[in-house]
Amino acid sequence: MLSPYIDHQLTSSEQGLVEAHLERCQACQRELESLRAVVNLVHRVPSVSPPRSFTIAEAVPKRRAAPVAVFSAATSGAVLLLERRVASLAVLSAATAGAVLLLAFFFVSDALNLFASEVPVGVEERLGEAGLLAEPSPDMAGGAPDLAEAGYETVENWPFWQLEVAFSALVVILGAVTLIWWLKRRKVTERG
Amino acid sequence: MEEDDLILRSKEGDLDAFNQLVEKYQRQVYNLALRMLGKAPAAEDATQEALLSAFKGIGGFRGGNFRAWLLRITANACRDQMRFWRRRPAVSLDALVLEPEADRGAQSPEDYALRRELGDEIAKALAALPADQRLAVILYDIEGLSYEEIAQVMNSSLGTVRSRLSRGRVRLRLYLEQRMELLP
Repeated sequence: MLSPYIDHQLTSSEQGLVEAHLERCQACQRELESLRAVVNLVHRVPSVSPPRSFTIAEAVPKRRAAPVAVFSAATSGAVLLLERRVASLAVLSAATAGAVLLLAFFFVSDALNLFASEVPVGVEERLGEAGLLAEPSPDMAGGAPDLAEAGYETVENWPFWQLEVAFSALVVILGAVTLIWWLKRRKVTERG
Repeated sequence: MEEDDLILRSKEGDLDAFNQLVEKYQRQVYNLALRMLGKAPAAEDATQEALLSAFKGIGGFRGGNFRAWLLRITANACRDQMRFWRRRPAVSLDALVLEPEADRGAQSPEDYALRRELGDEIAKALAALPADQRLAVILYDIEGLSYEEIAQVMNSSLGTVRSRLSRGRVRLRLYLEQRMELLP
């Protein structure tokens, strides 16, 4: 009760009670005196000039919805990298965005067969007959196949299936880490 | 320009307007961080972090006391700094003593030395307090906030503020009584 009494934060009835007690209690009087001395000492702690100005020199992107934030962080990564405290988050966001873009690229390429070759069916056997392959397929002993009948087959030059799985995992991991980090930073403004 | 206008413009992304708010409050933000953390480099980091976070999060400021809102962000940034330093045992928080860097101004060398000594002792006493009590004492007795503002900074009730301030002062008294001749 003595601390709020010093600060005049008690109701009038509480204040009356404290004063009535103080009149007959020397121990509390001494404690009050001592507390006042502490408060006066702490009041004398000097104010310090900041060592530099903390005005924000670079444009810092404002927080947006999470998906937009990831891409905005990626595009403004160069600016954010200058800010030591957010550099790691910016790099992480940029890496996540990059992984998402690559994953999308692989999916689209896979769906559209962008990097696939149209190879005539039986081309290996024909190469074998021409002596370009060491061991021609035993099935082709009967002569050259009719290309018009055989048609073409699609051969993927890139291991899309493995790339898609690997990058999906990468995106999930990077995304989770970025999200956790981002939420942690967000708490600084919202936590109470 | 009025503070409300600056806040409104800052919410629209106006960096110049926000920087005017920074200029107005950076001294108080830095001093709170310095008293909480006890070390200038950590206080600088916390100040920078707090002001950047404030700019990014100002859209979430729903009016009211801007200073209390900003100091709450600062207090949170200080907590992050404390965690950061705690994870590095080579430089523990216990070793972080307030640097005697009071403005010299027109003080005599004797006054300056006395204030440095006083600042050191009180800094050590503050460092010995639990963080919540330290925050309450700094905000009321050093920064001059009201109980209501402190309740907003701490996101707690007036009763909690009263209790933390009271317990903090009692601890300070016990600490200083053991170490100084300054108390009756």
